[in-house]
Amino acid sequence: MNLKPLMLLPALLALASCDGLFGGLYDEPAKGSPMGFIERDADGRGGTIYIDARSYTRWTYLDLHTRSTDTASIPLGQPEPHAWDLALHRYDVKTRSGAATVVAAKYVGELTSLPDTAGLAFTADADSQVVIDMSTMMEGYLGYAPSKVNPVLSRWLDVNTAEMPPIYTLSGDVYLLRLADGSCAALQFTGYANEAAVKGYVTIRYRYPL
Amino acid sequence: MKSKLSAVGRRMALLVSLLAATMASAQTELHPDSIRIDPRLLDMVVITATRTPKLIMDVPVVTRVITEHDMQTADATTIQDLLEVELPGIEFTYSMNQQVNLNMQGFGGNSVLFLVDGERLAGETLDNVDYSRLGLDGVGRIEIVKGAASSLYGSNAVGGVVNLISRTSTEPWTLNLGTRWGSFGDRRHTASLSFNAGRMNSLTNLQLTHADAIHLSDSSDMMNIYASRTVSAKERLIFRASDRLKLTARAGYFFRERESSSVAYDRYRDFAGGLKADYRFGDRSDLMVSYAFDQYDKSDYTLASHLDVRDYSNVQHTLRSLYNLAFSQVGTLTVGGDLMRDYLMTYQFDDGGSHTQYTADAFAQWDWEITSRMSLVAALRYDYYSEAAASHLAPKLNFMYKLPQVTLRAGYANGFRAPTLKEMYMRFDMASIFWIYGNPNLRPEVSDNLNLSAEWSKGQYSATVMGFYNHVQNRITTLWNQALGGMVYTNMAPVSIAGADLSLAARWDCGLGARLSYIYTHESLDEDGMRSSTTRPNTATLRLDYRRSWRWGESTLALNGRLLSAVTCDEYASLSDPSQVEERTYPGYTLWRLTLCHRFKRGITLTATIDNLFDYRPEYYYSNSPATPGRTFAAGLSIDIEKLVK
Repeated sequence: MNLKPLMLLPALLALASCDGLFGGLYDEPAKGSPMGFIERDADGRGGTIYIDARSYTRWTYLDLHTRSTDTASIPLGQPEPHAWDLALHRYDVKTRSGAATVVAAKYVGELTSLPDTAGLAFTADADSQVVIDMSTMMEGYLGYAPSKVNPVLSRWLDVNTAEMPPIYTLSGDVYLLRLADGSCAALQFTGYANEAAVKGYVTIRYRYPL
Repeated sequence: MKSKLSAVGRRMALLVSLLAATMASAQTELHPDSIRIDPRLLDMVVITATRTPKLIMDVPVVTRVITEHDMQTADATTIQDLLEVELPGIEFTYSMNQQVNLNMQGFGGNSVLFLVDGERLAGETLDNVDYSRLGLDGVGRIEIVKGAASSLYGSNAVGGVVNLISRTSTEPWTLNLGTRWGSFGDRRHTASLSFNAGRMNSLTNLQLTHADAIHLSDSSDMMNIYASRTVSAKERLIFRASDRLKLTARAGYFFRERESSSVAYDRYRDFAGGLKADYRFGDRSDLMVSYAFDQYDKSDYTLASHLDVRDYSNVQHTLRSLYNLAFSQVGTLTVGGDLMRDYLMTYQFDDGGSHTQYTADAFAQWDWEITSRMSLVAALRYDYYSEAAASHLAPKLNFMYKLPQVTLRAGYANGFRAPTLKEMYMRFDMASIFWIYGNPNLRPEVSDNLNLSAEWSKGQYSATVMGFYNHVQNRITTLWNQALGGMVYTNMAPVSIAGADLSLAARWDCGLGARLSYIYTHESLDEDGMRSSTTRPNTATLRLDYRRSWRWGESTLALNGRLLSAVTCDEYASLSDPSQVEERTYPGYTLWRLTLCHRFKRGITLTATIDNLFDYRPEYYYSNSPATPGRTFAAGLSIDIEKLVK
């Protein structure tokens, strides 16, 4: 019996697949995904916002009027941009002299016009603080910086750290944001991670102006 | 002298015939009667302790065997389910992110070597292999050798070796279909097909499992168990090319998914394959040459984008040879060697990069039957690891002396564990809280293991008592490094682990059987006196069963209990300040499982199980609490189609 081909098989297999097989089973991570106001509804009055809010030391500012974004470093004391409407720092949200409330809607697309706001209680930003340094967590404390935060909008994501890893739960709520100029926007936060499941990437569906 | 030589000759002839029967795949069909007659299964052939087939009563190292019958009456799906029922001193708990963590008499998952038909497993998570890969479908028996075994198996065989050995059917064909339904969506479906056609033997196994998410508590360290599902498919072909040559090919695929968050699921896949040739030169010598491939991948499946992105892959290629030469009046010489290429790509390396390590080893073992009562096994193995630039020489010496009804065993064995690529090269940002750094200068873990045992057997009763002592140096762990502001893999101070193991078994003619196993374990750091061990000092398993044959089949009612004592330890209150220590006591607990199994004569088996019989729920779910939601129920049906159609 000629066993030579059989004896060569292991060597051939080893050479052919040193670093593994079946790479085709997997997807490549999405690279260079567009950030900012990435989609616009057909009527031009809404769309999708996708931002990288991972940094603990940076606010990301959103201008709904011009559909633009900007950032400012907290530890460096960089000033806020001249025009903005709301901003995110990780999962914290603040507004520019705005106020927010939750409305009875399942999806932001249900709000094609401004709903009756009579009886709705809008909540303005309040003095608070945001975490800017996690590196001292294992020593029992965190680094904070004072900041305004909107308590209603900042409830869009519940991060339960009672067990590890934390459990993230989207509120699913649709928020009505009254801006400083009196105009209103509808917001719904629909994601807190990117396509590779890295947390800190925030997706917002919005309608503006209502 | 003549009679003595004849006895030796007969024993050699028996050994050679056993060798021929079990050499390659190490598979042995166990006759059900042997279970009934002898609780210790003294007529069973085992292979793990010496890498050569030997009667269990002739092995100078205590070997625990879990039979297929044990697996069935334990109603276990994975090795984890089974070992917890069968062995004291073993505890599977959850570590961070619900990753399973093993503690076997003070040794963690990376210090206990799990093998499938003698082959290592690729991949690990938090120092543990994926135990859910080790389904029991197609497994004929499991051999457990406690204590160091690096002189035969190399790295990781520090605390013990667990070897799952596939079954081989001698029937023309068999087809078994099984299903099991339990509480919380716990489901298991299996199919096993085997056939013998001429020189060909085939075994195919399929298994699907599913479990719903379970809410345990509203406020604990562990509040929920993720939902999960697995798929496993295995094929093994044996071709007997001649009376002397046997060729084996195998392939396997494993998939596991767990619903770990609302945006993405964790996925785990394994691809395994191998080729093996066994050649018998005559009655006295044989050669095995094999090639094994194992690839273990992890990926994240994102629900929104439907992207399945791989971020971990461990690929191992292993070439192995093993040669046995029996000297009829002296003993058996075993020599062998391995070459392995170990490739690791992981998100825990810089930029998701990769590293590769080559290992080479050579070993020799001398199995000397000095007299019919006295035998001795000595072995020496040399290992070399390229990336760690580490080499190690691991010796062992085991001695056995048989008295009427009593067998005495004593042994010394050296164990070692080489630093892994992860431990050398990790550079991982832990949620912006701290970094974990690898250490290329780690030294291998080294252990010295001493054990002494006495085994008594008379009629239907048996007892084993064993004392053990391990001294482990350079154990690898992570410690806070103030200068780096992170955790760094480091060799720690020596650890001593000592204890005693008692096992009692009996089987009466009326069908009653009982087995009690108890282990006392004491683990201590040699230097600072801090009680850092979370190993429970007192653990026991108890099994009571009753078997009865009826006109229409055989029933087995089995009650299995696990008893674990509380453990008190000192824990760091601050990661960066070792002076801040607090005492913590983890409560003891017992868990009981009642199984009723009835085998009808036409190949139909019904199983009903109540797990956690007394509805134990921890007041607080610590990471090392049993992750039980309380009492659960399960029912299973297994049909041997070939018996049904006969």
